[in-house]
Order: sequence, then C-alpha cells, then structure tokens
Amino acid sequence: MEKDISGTTLRIAQILIDELKLEDVTPETFDPDLDLVDEVGVDSMDLATVALVLRDEYGIRIDEDDYPKLTTVRIIAEYINNKLDSDD
Amino acid sequence: MTSPALEEKQKKYKFSEITAEPAVRDKFKKVREYFFLRESTYDMTNRCNVRCEGCYYFTGDKQFATENSAEDDWRALLEGEKKRGITFVVLAGAEPSLVPHLCGVCYETIPLGAIATNGLQHLPRQIDYRIHISVWGNDQTSLKIRKAKDMLARQIANYQNDPRAIFVYTFNPVNIDEAREVTSLLARHGLQITFNMFSAPLGYNGPLRHTPETLNQTREVMTELLRQYPETVVYSPYNIVAHTSEKGLHDLYSCSYPRMNTSTNIGLGRSFRQYRTDLNWDRQAACCVPDTDCADCRHYAAGSAVVTARMYRHAVNPETFKAWLDYVDTYLAVWVRGYDKGQNLCDQFIEPPPKEI
Repeated sequence: MEKDISGTTLRIAQILIDELKLEDVTPETFDPDLDLVDEVGVDSMDLATVALVLRDEYGIRIDEDDYPKLTTVRIIAEYINNKLDSDD
Repeated sequence: MTSPALEEKQKKYKFSEITAEPAVRDKFKKVREYFFLRESTYDMTNRCNVRCEGCYYFTGDKQFATENSAEDDWRALLEGEKKRGITFVVLAGAEPSLVPHLCGVCYETIPLGAIATNGLQHLPRQIDYRIHISVWGNDQTSLKIRKAKDMLARQIANYQNDPRAIFVYTFNPVNIDEAREVTSLLARHGLQITFNMFSAPLGYNGPLRHTPETLNQTREVMTELLRQYPETVVYSPYNIVAHTSEKGLHDLYSCSYPRMNTSTNIGLGRSFRQYRTDLNWDRQAACCVPDTDCADCRHYAAGSAVVTARMYRHAVNPETFKAWLDYVDTYLAVWVRGYDKGQNLCDQFIEPPPKEI
C-alpha cells in the first residue's frame, strides 16, 4: 500500500527545523524541493544527525552511501517510504 | 538460549537511548557546536629549514609548484575560500613559519585554523591558530632522521607557555620507546602532546614503514602514556584503536577526502581542497596528506576528518558512540584554539564498527 508522502514530508521538515534550529519556517512553509545542501546549508554531519533521528522515528536504516542522494525533503520522504514499503 | 553478552551485541539501540546518559548527551551537544567546521589545507611555501626522511611535502609533484608569496593573491584566495564556506584552514607544507606574513593574511581572513610546523621558528603570537609542532623522537633520532640538532630543546624554548602549541609525536618503527622520554619532558614543561602515525608516502619502502609488530608496540606505548600522563597526552583509547590497527583508515572507515571519494554532493568530497604553493589545487590529489600511500594511511589529520565523518555507523550502542565522542572531543582539542577536552567516556578498546549493509 502506498504511504502518505505528504505526512512524511511534513514530519521530515519538522525534524530538520528542530535539529538544525531553522528559524522563520514551519513544516507547512518548508519547500520540500529546496536543495538542502545548496539552499539550506546542510552538511554531512547535519545529515547524519537527521538520519539518526529518522532511524529512531521510522525504524529504518540509511546507508552511508545514500546520504549524497538525499538532497531534498521530498527525496528523503520518498526514500523513507520506499524503505517502509520494502519492509512490508 | 542466548547469553546476555550476545543479546547486548544483537540489541538494536535507538539513538535516543544511546544519548540518554547525561554525560553522553552533554558531550554530543558540546561537539555538535563544531559541526560547522569546513576545512581546506594550504601549502604555504616550497621551502623548509630541515629535510626529514619520508616527508610528505617532498614527495610527488607539489614540491615543484611555483611559490606565490604575494599577500594580495593570498588574501583573494582566502576571501574566495570563505565565500565557498570554508571555516577552518590548515597551513602546512613545506614550513609555514618561514612565511609568517602569509600565515597572518590567512588568520585575518579565516580566524579558525591550525599550522603544522617543525617549531624551529616561533610564529608571531597574533596568529592565534593552533600550532602543531612535529616531533619524530628524541634529539638523537631527530638528528638522524631530520638532520637537525637539539630539535626538542629548541621547540620547547620557542613554545614554552604558549597556549597555541601542541606537540605531535609521529610514531615510526625506530622511535616507539622514545615517546616515553619525550612525553615525560613535555609534561615537566607543562606542554601538551598528541600522537600521529608515520604513514608511508607513495613508493616508500624504507625502515619507517610500520609492520604489524610495530603497530602493536605503538599501541602499548600509547596506552601506557595516556594512562600515565592524562593532563599532557591529548588522546583517547579509541584514537589508539583507530590509528594502530593493521587496517589503515581507508579500510576501516572509507576515506571521505576527494582523493578516495568521488561524490561532490556533500561533505569533504564537496568542499575540501588542498592548495599548492602556486594557489592551484587538483581534485585527484586532494587530501590532507597528499602523496601518502592510502593503504598505509593512519595519519592523525586524516583520522580527524575520516573517523569524525562516520558518526552514523558509530551510533550502534552506547559504548561505541562514547568511543566516537571521545575521538571527536580529542580532534577538536587538538585542532581548535580554546576548545577544552573533557574526560574520555570510554576506557575500553572498541572495535571500529563496520559499515551497515
């Protein structure tokens, strides 16, 4: 069954906002297609921290080699939903 | 029936469980403040006042780059570096203390950094970077390998009571036992020491290349000194494991420097550059110790980035994560002025965790 991508997107945006202490943005206003590296300034250590929080929240593992591909909230949401689907 | 030890090994911890202990949570919070550091390295001059056997700088092509010592060019380079997000500079080859005016230009533009020097010339106090003074044994060994007299005595005289200074002892097969004498001397002078491992330059097969036996001997001496001089030795048990294993850093952790990492999307693969004295850089050669044989690399500077970058794989259980935190705490204390190392949280030898499949 296809998971609710918009719910995942909002939750990931909230985690990013909390972990990176982003200001003046809410999960609803966070552009899911914003490039996290170029436009938000996320680096590998930030992404590793976020990945650990996502691991707790969704019970999935994120391969180190996959980090470079996780460039937007939408891509992360799709990645998580694919992982969850493959576990079903 | 499974044993408690096996159950513990197989248990899948949540990150929130791993960081539940207050000491772990506090140290993670402390080191996380420095996740903004983005480094690049710079060869400052092609001159040096000593010639050491197995020197990285005088291996490969970079030694032949034309030296640019124009302050305006350096200022423009550093301004550009700042714009592309570099927040930490490492000034290295061949001997930065011979061009203090250029080090000053770097400091004026990017105020966080470190200088790798042989310590024979004092760097002006206003350049408030961490200063790494290389030590390759006692003065008899230095004379043999570096062809310089009274090195340690001169280094100590230059940097006594200088809070920027930390001595970096490079262990090689012929100087392992001398680390005791050197550490004791530095302790008496109230100076700090950290450890490095000789990592063979490409094509080097001389007597300084480590063997499994010398790696074990080094591990024993490092352990002894860390226990005996906790105020002097800036290191942790996990540093010892990471740098004295038979496998090099790349085999253990997958090196994240551009030379071994093709990804340009994020992290060191994206931002790191190693500039030569002509202010050019080459992605194919980009790492903190270019022209080192990657299979033999156990270099302290490489580990500082490579082990630190592997946070995710160390977050498997509380002890492994504590070991990683100790490593990062050590790295920051060695490289960042004003950062105070806390007590090590993990006193065991933890095996480097494999990459999760």
